[in-house]
Amino acid sequence: MSAITLKNVIKKYGAVQVVHGVDLDIDEGEFVVLLGPSGCGKTTTLRMVAGLEDVSGGELSIGGQVVNNVAPKDRGVAMVFQNYALYPHMTVKKNMEFALRPLKLDKAEVDKRINDTAAILGLGELLERRPVQLSGGQRQRVAMGRAMVRTPDVFLFDEPLSNLDAKLRTQVRWEIGKLHQRLGTTVLYVTHDQVEAMTLADKVVIMRDGYVEQVGTPEEVYTAPQSTFVATFIGSPSMNMIEAKVVAERLEANGFSMPLPDRFQGKVTEGQAVTIGVRPIEIKRVAASSTGAMQANVEVTEYLGNEALLDLRVGPHELVAEVPADQRVEPGKVIHIALNEGAIHLFDTVSGRTLSE
Amino acid sequence: MAYIRKRNKRIFLIFLLPAMLVLFLTTIYPMLYAGYLSFRSYDLAKLFVPRVFVGWSNYGEILGSSEFLHALVTTFKLMAMTLSVQLVLGVGIALIVTQKLPGMPLARTLLMIPMMISPVIVGLVWLFLYFPELGYLNYFLSFLGFDSIPWITSTDWALWAIAIADIWQWTPFVMMGTAAALQSLSPEPYEAAMIDGNSRWDVFTRVTLPQLKPVLVSLMFLRAIDAFKIYDIIFVLTKGGPGDSTEVLSMFIYRQSFTFWRMGVGAAASFVSLVIIVVLITLFFKSLNRDQVS
Amino acid sequence: MTRNLRQNILVYALLAVVLIVFMTPIYLIVSSSVKPSPIMFQKPPAFLFTPTFEHYHDLFAMRPFTKFIWNSLIVALGSTAFSLTIGSLAAYAISRIRHKRMNDVAFWILSMRMFPPIAVVVPYYIIFKSAGLLDTPLALIIVYSTANIPLTVWLMKGFFDEVPLALEEAAAVDGYGLLATFWYVTLPLAAPGLAVSAVFCFIFSWNEFLFALMLTGSEAQTATVAVMSFWSSDAVQWGRIMAGSFIILIPGVIFVLTCQRWLVRGLTMGSVK
Repeated sequence: MSAITLKNVIKKYGAVQVVHGVDLDIDEGEFVVLLGPSGCGKTTTLRMVAGLEDVSGGELSIGGQVVNNVAPKDRGVAMVFQNYALYPHMTVKKNMEFALRPLKLDKAEVDKRINDTAAILGLGELLERRPVQLSGGQRQRVAMGRAMVRTPDVFLFDEPLSNLDAKLRTQVRWEIGKLHQRLGTTVLYVTHDQVEAMTLADKVVIMRDGYVEQVGTPEEVYTAPQSTFVATFIGSPSMNMIEAKVVAERLEANGFSMPLPDRFQGKVTEGQAVTIGVRPIEIKRVAASSTGAMQANVEVTEYLGNEALLDLRVGPHELVAEVPADQRVEPGKVIHIALNEGAIHLFDTVSGRTLSE
Repeated sequence: MAYIRKRNKRIFLIFLLPAMLVLFLTTIYPMLYAGYLSFRSYDLAKLFVPRVFVGWSNYGEILGSSEFLHALVTTFKLMAMTLSVQLVLGVGIALIVTQKLPGMPLARTLLMIPMMISPVIVGLVWLFLYFPELGYLNYFLSFLGFDSIPWITSTDWALWAIAIADIWQWTPFVMMGTAAALQSLSPEPYEAAMIDGNSRWDVFTRVTLPQLKPVLVSLMFLRAIDAFKIYDIIFVLTKGGPGDSTEVLSMFIYRQSFTFWRMGVGAAASFVSLVIIVVLITLFFKSLNRDQVS
Repeated sequence: MTRNLRQNILVYALLAVVLIVFMTPIYLIVSSSVKPSPIMFQKPPAFLFTPTFEHYHDLFAMRPFTKFIWNSLIVALGSTAFSLTIGSLAAYAISRIRHKRMNDVAFWILSMRMFPPIAVVVPYYIIFKSAGLLDTPLALIIVYSTANIPLTVWLMKGFFDEVPLALEEAAAVDGYGLLATFWYVTLPLAAPGLAVSAVFCFIFSWNEFLFALMLTGSEAQTATVAVMSFWSSDAVQWGRIMAGSFIILIPGVIFVLTCQRWLVRGLTMGSVK
């Protein structure tokens, strides 16, 4: 049985529709990340699951029960808010006790849960402090603790790391991953940061403008993006996109030409407008004489330590190549490159959907 | 955006209901009642005259009477006197007490005390100061070379006597609002003007005042609405006299209703004053909304 | 930025003038309340004299001034409690309901405070008379609430607006309904607002004169009316007037000295923060 199921879930504010028919199945114990740029509807979707927003259409079930009209408090979920939403007038311990009160547990059980959680999260020292006396990282942990003590069926996280500095973010991310392994609770997690999504998720749901673009494991969304949006959104630096046309078994772009790889045979039609996608790491420097070599002007070189990014101009196209640092060249130089044919992606330019399948 | 379910909306409306109900019963209903009275002859001094419907005659009487028009003019005269002085003095004092110098916070606090004093007490202490022959005000002024001024006994001075008491009590209000606004202004425009070498006057008129304008407009409206209601101080100091020199609208209503016991006429005058205050309040809210939009 | 000494001296000189002008009446209330009657108007004024408490003694011994203060307290506390309860509930609703008409409702409530009291004194008088409520504290409690409820609504709306919605949402997810959330989360966080509203309601009621004069007689008379009555007696009893005035102004002064930072917001009903 699925922990959470969304069937054609819609959200409208008046005449404005912000979530368009989301379908999603989340299994028991799965860590699912809703990923997308701001305004893509991911937070709204999470808030509908929490019950903080009414569902305008479709069906939302938690634990097999339709909960469209169930109050948040009766959904068996716990939520970690973006700004933590700790009650400022209560100590850390009171915050957790307050979250437990509606469960009407006996005193011993309450204390046991708080102490266990505090031990797991290292909050022991902080129990008598108030939120203002805590650092950002500590507040974040308290927010998680407050959610954990309730031992909910589902954890909801709304951009929990967005208020932390980069170093702390990495650490807390790691801790969240470890906690999930340990507790095994179903998690629905919203973020705009692809690193969080890739490292934490069992399943990534990529959203854009209120639509689900792709659902898959981190590996699937990286290696087999279903649309140009997913292709450019996942991976850093972004995948290069070159608009081309299928002409006589070749991909012809302005000032650029390559044979159509065999695996796309039969999937394209003569004259079709396609978009070639190639990740920067799949662009190699080659000798001028090698087959398929293209001439490229180096416009900018960014040194990153192990590797370097080359901003290249090939005819009218701008490409980014990621090369080992020792292969970098001065801006203004001319080099020769080739695309790794086995790693290129092909999309229909009009629909934006992949042609790989 | 908000966590609002239909059920909660109903609870919110239940929250709102008692206040609306109480305000309706205690404000709207009496006002309607005043409206009702204003169309009747309700003369408590003539017990055996029937309290009959008299149509617009009460309104006709007050609108045609020079007394009422005089009271209206006096009200606005007093409003103009107090508001203009309070604006200039209030902004001036605010500029002094917002200087970053030792003692200024304490000065600001002390200057707020007059506002919290009961208007009756304000009237009484100024009566003490103005008191003919005995009062200290003329004694203090004699050091500045002034002749003795018959504050509350002369038709020339009585309105000023009232204005001064009101100015004393409410200039701090303008000061306080202005000071709060001044302190919330961003320092950057000032630093820019300093680097550009603008004169202080330039900076004040071109940078500070335009930024203060919305606050000053709000403060002046609030003062105007209050000035329209002024009652206690006049009641203590002059009771509308000498002659009718300080008879503002509220004193007129009071005298018609409780000295002559002509409740119907008093109610008609009340209703006219309600209409004027509605105009003032509407203008005030319009200006508030405009600020919020811009 | 360098400020030269001359400029500072000018600022302090102006400040001194302002303070003398504005503080003299207050000084006069305090000093006259303990000044022996014979030197009450002595010129030049006596700054050093042996203070006497005869006026305070007269105040309490010769008139039931304690009763009048008690009346003032009952009326002020009663109206404050009533207005706070009703007003903060309404404020919460106005703060949380997202509806385009809500602004109008808020302004309508605020406007209730701005109407001239004199315009409704006559109807009040007649209504209370027929209801047998003239000269009772209840009449004044009701009347003062018409001014105090709008004030509370506007002040509390500002404070409720500042409570982050996420906290209420957290409580909702944690299993609390609207009422419990309001009681345990929102209200404690808006507690400063409750305090400020309470003080403003109290002081307004405590200081009020017009309605107290019109709607009370010997039984429910409040302190402000009582003090005024020393004036209308055969001889002006300045000592007693000043002693009574001093007692009446105490709450206001305490308020200014302790929480002046809320004054702006309270007096402008949130239109200036």
